[in-house]
Amino acid sequence: MKNIYKVNDNKFKSIYVSYNFTFETKKDEIPKNVITSLILSKGCNKYKTSKEIEEYLSSLYGTNFDINMEKIGDLYNIEFRLECVNKEFLPNKEDVLKPAIDFLYEILYNPKIENNQFDIVTFEREKSFILDKINKRKDEKLKYAVLKTEEILCEKEPFGTYIYGNIKDAEDVKLEDIANTYIKLIEKSSISIVVSGNLNGYDDIDQYIENVFKNKLEKVILSKELINISYKNRNVNEEIKEIKEKTQTNQAVITLGMRVENLEDDDFYALNIYNSILGGTPSSKLFQNVREKESLAYTAKSRYYRFKGIFVIYAGIEEINYEKAKTVILKQIEEMTNCDISESELNSSKESLISDLLEWNDSKISLAKLAYTNAISEKNLTIDELIDNMKKVQLEDVARVAKKVKVELIYLLGGEDSEK
Amino acid sequence: MKNNIEIIKNETLNETIHKTILSNGLEVYICVRPGFTKKIGMFGTKYGSINNDFVDISTGKRVVMPDGVAHFLEHKLFEKEGENSLDLFSKEGISSNAYTSFDHTVYFFETIDKFKKGLEMLIELVKTPYFTVENVKKEQGIIGQEISMYDDDPNFNVYFNALRAMYINHPIRIDIAGTIESISKIDKDILYSCYNTFYNPNNMFIVIVGDVNVEDTVNIIETKVKLYEKNIKSEKVMKFGVSEPTNILQKKIEKVMGIYMPQISIGYKLVPTEKNEIIKREVISDLISEMYFSKSSKFYEIEYNKGAVSDDIDFIYEGTTDFSHIIISTMSTKTDIIQEDIFNYIENLKNNDIDLKLFENTKRRKIGENIVESENLNNSYRRIIDSILNESQLYYDLEILSNITIEDIKDFLNTLEYSKSVISIVK
Repeated sequence: MKNIYKVNDNKFKSIYVSYNFTFETKKDEIPKNVITSLILSKGCNKYKTSKEIEEYLSSLYGTNFDINMEKIGDLYNIEFRLECVNKEFLPNKEDVLKPAIDFLYEILYNPKIENNQFDIVTFEREKSFILDKINKRKDEKLKYAVLKTEEILCEKEPFGTYIYGNIKDAEDVKLEDIANTYIKLIEKSSISIVVSGNLNGYDDIDQYIENVFKNKLEKVILSKELINISYKNRNVNEEIKEIKEKTQTNQAVITLGMRVENLEDDDFYALNIYNSILGGTPSSKLFQNVREKESLAYTAKSRYYRFKGIFVIYAGIEEINYEKAKTVILKQIEEMTNCDISESELNSSKESLISDLLEWNDSKISLAKLAYTNAISEKNLTIDELIDNMKKVQLEDVARVAKKVKVELIYLLGGEDSEK
Repeated sequence: MKNNIEIIKNETLNETIHKTILSNGLEVYICVRPGFTKKIGMFGTKYGSINNDFVDISTGKRVVMPDGVAHFLEHKLFEKEGENSLDLFSKEGISSNAYTSFDHTVYFFETIDKFKKGLEMLIELVKTPYFTVENVKKEQGIIGQEISMYDDDPNFNVYFNALRAMYINHPIRIDIAGTIESISKIDKDILYSCYNTFYNPNNMFIVIVGDVNVEDTVNIIETKVKLYEKNIKSEKVMKFGVSEPTNILQKKIEKVMGIYMPQISIGYKLVPTEKNEIIKREVISDLISEMYFSKSSKFYEIEYNKGAVSDDIDFIYEGTTDFSHIIISTMSTKTDIIQEDIFNYIENLKNNDIDLKLFENTKRRKIGENIVESENLNNSYRRIIDSILNESQLYYDLEILSNITIEDIKDFLNTLEYSKSVISIVK
């Protein structure tokens, strides 16, 4: 079957099943989808409540079940995940994988719907859970500053929305929306299933999944078009915006938002190296200068968002040092643009990125993630190929992409407490 | 020289740990994980934020140090003449870091294909202190920002305030990083005094996890360590504890941080225990947490439907030979309701019979979870470090799980006394 992917490695003892619904979304539709999938995960016709679900999973030797949401650029992905032990490692070689897959089918395709409506009590509960989640994102200042930077930088794009959506859109979700959202989710999403881990004794697991889910797996939209939307959705601003926000805090956070102009598929490797040299490791320019040399911060990092072609730089500072920190950070970016980069910076960045890639081999979840990314982008890159491509990057490649990186936003999450 | 290597094998996880003690007293543990690409090396000292009062090994005199010195020392050890070790590791493509806890400090590296190099660099890092007046001053700015970062973290505040409410004299009350004021008193002489005392081989351990050759690894360690062993003393450190009463300091601490979602921690102060008993308490608490507080519990369902909790309720045991407590924490906009309900619930649990089916089902869950968690290399070193610090048997956690009875659960619940409980709220 085309959309079931297997990754087998006998060094593991367990198995991870990831059932993904990937779809194009608008900002205001995010909370509907989130609440719908939460409701699905909290009960179905066969296992009516969370409690019944957990009891059943306990009996499957603590099979873990949860859901995870992720923005893949401007696409949205909802992942239903299972993690269980391979029968070889269990008393009496009891198989829990197949029952877990049957369980997942019940959760996804046999939900509790009466008179075309989901349960109102569950709905209200999950809605308020999500509203709380959205509201409390402000409670952790560093993370919030990064989120806020993503939001301002990508204001008009779906990506620039918090993972659970906006407050107002979440408040507007009604019970009646859920049934339709559910139908849309299971019928219009691109579905990909990854099974990874120790598949010893489970040669036929893809066949088994196909038999359980049957026609549910058929309606797969060609996702290559979907994923390219992320690249097209860009709007590069020429001016640099400077925004300050007040909050009750001891430490201020300075962030910079940057965007890559004319992003191309092949830029991926050089941009990762760019990020690593700028702020990805302890030998990076940001760490060495903002922290070690100027003693301005404990945290000073940059992050690259591969599916969106943006960067966020962040550092926790004392508010009075804002101008100084800004100058130091801008100077590091300028050095990148001018390709003021040594061979040793290039090589150590490559080494550290290659180590990170090799480390994926140790995690069945990372391996599943790679299989999923390959699936939605219709590629078939192995870790070895990724490494080879990373090795090929030369200084001039970094110089070429560095010229395409534009600062669009400088943001300060400032303290009321620190003003005293 | 042939070392005497003890082999500890666990059948459930199909995992083996090799243990040896070098002639200088340094303990070495190697957990071989075939097939894994990553190798982890850790060099640790049984010295953390609570060890402020001790006999300086060089002078033989008792000293009391400023708060936060163990953590400060951890930062400063990375600094070498004209270079920084973090940077050196990073330039080799090896990632490295360190952490300081209440009772230990660990330096570590992770690598794929530069294990020997990384291990030698790690030993060099720990064995070559370079403290100067200037570099101490510079670090005060960086750690100052680290302290501010924690000051803004509601989670950290609610936890530490629970400890501060429970403990009267014990240094566990004090932030691991100290305060901006206390770290301003740290100078290079203080750092050397702490370093010489606690970073002696007798007080240290090395833990290796990954697909490595045991003999080779021991040889690398032995050869490298020897290079730095001129003029150093290796002996047991005299640490002074405080006498901590069994009662609590205050019932409640509330802090206003202007956050949206209030956080609450309820603490129960317990009488410390030792060795395997510490591990047993951890396993029992883990079962209690799953049976009575997890999302599948009846209690959670009731509280959730009341709107009194909005996320997980954690029930966690923390303890060494020196301190011991339970912390129950959650987030809630109705902290008054949830605190009262938790207190009443614990009293009810003590008096009610334990549901045998729930108990057996939860054990079954934990057996599966232990196998899944064991895939993670971090799980191997955590178990080893726990066993070093607690002087407990390796893999005792797995052994005891199958032997825990309903009576054990009940006995433990009965040690939670309302009069020894505290409430910490951040809102």
